Amino acid sequence: MSLLSYFEALEASPIGVFVKDKAATFACIEAVHLMALALLGASVLSADLRLLNVVLRDVPSNAVTEQAHRWFKLALGVLLVTGFFMLAGVATKCYHNPFYWAKMITLGLGIVFVFAIKQPLLRKDHAQLNPWTLKLVALASLMIWFVVAASGRWIGFSG
Amino acid sequence: MNEWLLEFAESIGATSFSVGLHESYYMYAWIESIHVITLMVSLGMLIVIDLRMLGVWLKDVPASKIAERLDRPMLIGFSIMVVTGVLLYVGIPIRTTQSLWFRIKVILLVAAFINAWLFRRHMQSSVGTWDVAPVPPRRTRVAAALSLTLWAGVVCCGRFIAYDWFDCGQDNPAFIDWAAGCVAGEEGGQHG
Repeated sequence: MSLLSYFEALEASPIGVFVKDKAATFACIEAVHLMALALLGASVLSADLRLLNVVLRDVPSNAVTEQAHRWFKLALGVLLVTGFFMLAGVATKCYHNPFYWAKMITLGLGIVFVFAIKQPLLRKDHAQLNPWTLKLVALASLMIWFVVAASGRWIGFSG
Repeated sequence: MNEWLLEFAESIGATSFSVGLHESYYMYAWIESIHVITLMVSLGMLIVIDLRMLGVWLKDVPASKIAERLDRPMLIGFSIMVVTGVLLYVGIPIRTTQSLWFRIKVILLVAAFINAWLFRRHMQSSVGTWDVAPVPPRRTRVAAALSLTLWAGVVCCGRFIAYDWFDCGQDNPAFIDWAAGCVAGEEGGQHG
């Protein structure tokens, strides 16, 4: 089976039909997706801006990043589930949309980056780490999630 | 009132600036993208503050410290939201004026603003007694929950403005036409 046929099967599946059946269904899922984006912003920005010494400078960065990660996981979970439902409704459109693939690639990179690089590093005592390492990790994280969000918004314009 | 609002929207829509925004595919899309992505800053910071006030995030940091330190980035975010939001309105003024969702959104924004203003006053007068409490008193938590609920409503309405379910000139129930402020004999006729 080709990759496209999986997308076609998803769109024809009961999930795809459910999402497509009424415009309001898609719109409501989008709204929840956006709320979870705000929560993702809350966790990513509070942690990364703390690491960059922009906000909460007088709160220990270990505490900020550790607690932010819990909310990050919740936000990411909601985004993935609602995102999957949205994809199901317009799967074949997405297949032909370069911004969809740009988003999926950066999203994959972002997830690997957070769980394989960022979190293992941030679990260590930040005082023992090179401050520039922390700043670069924060900057990379900000850029990745910005690209994910921006290319996500652009899927809707270019479809 | 609705006639006046429509006239106001029509006069904005007639300006070359508005036409330019509307006709320029990329400019409008860029402004909309900035509006959506800045949600992560404005509402992101608001969520951190409200979740602290609910006693579920950064419980070991004084509540006033979180509110004070994140106030500026939050307000920067909201400033960008206001500027891009006004530009989005100017780009499509007539349809937006007669949008049911836009109207609900504005009401919710006003409610959220009043809630935030009352909360700020409540905080200034009493924070000394509960600043370091991991879970703030009930009144604080109610205000924070209300704030999050109102903003969730703002996000929903904001997203729904893009859909034409209840545009004027369609076969809407009379109540919807009234709430959206449709002016008899006029059709929005402007789509985003």
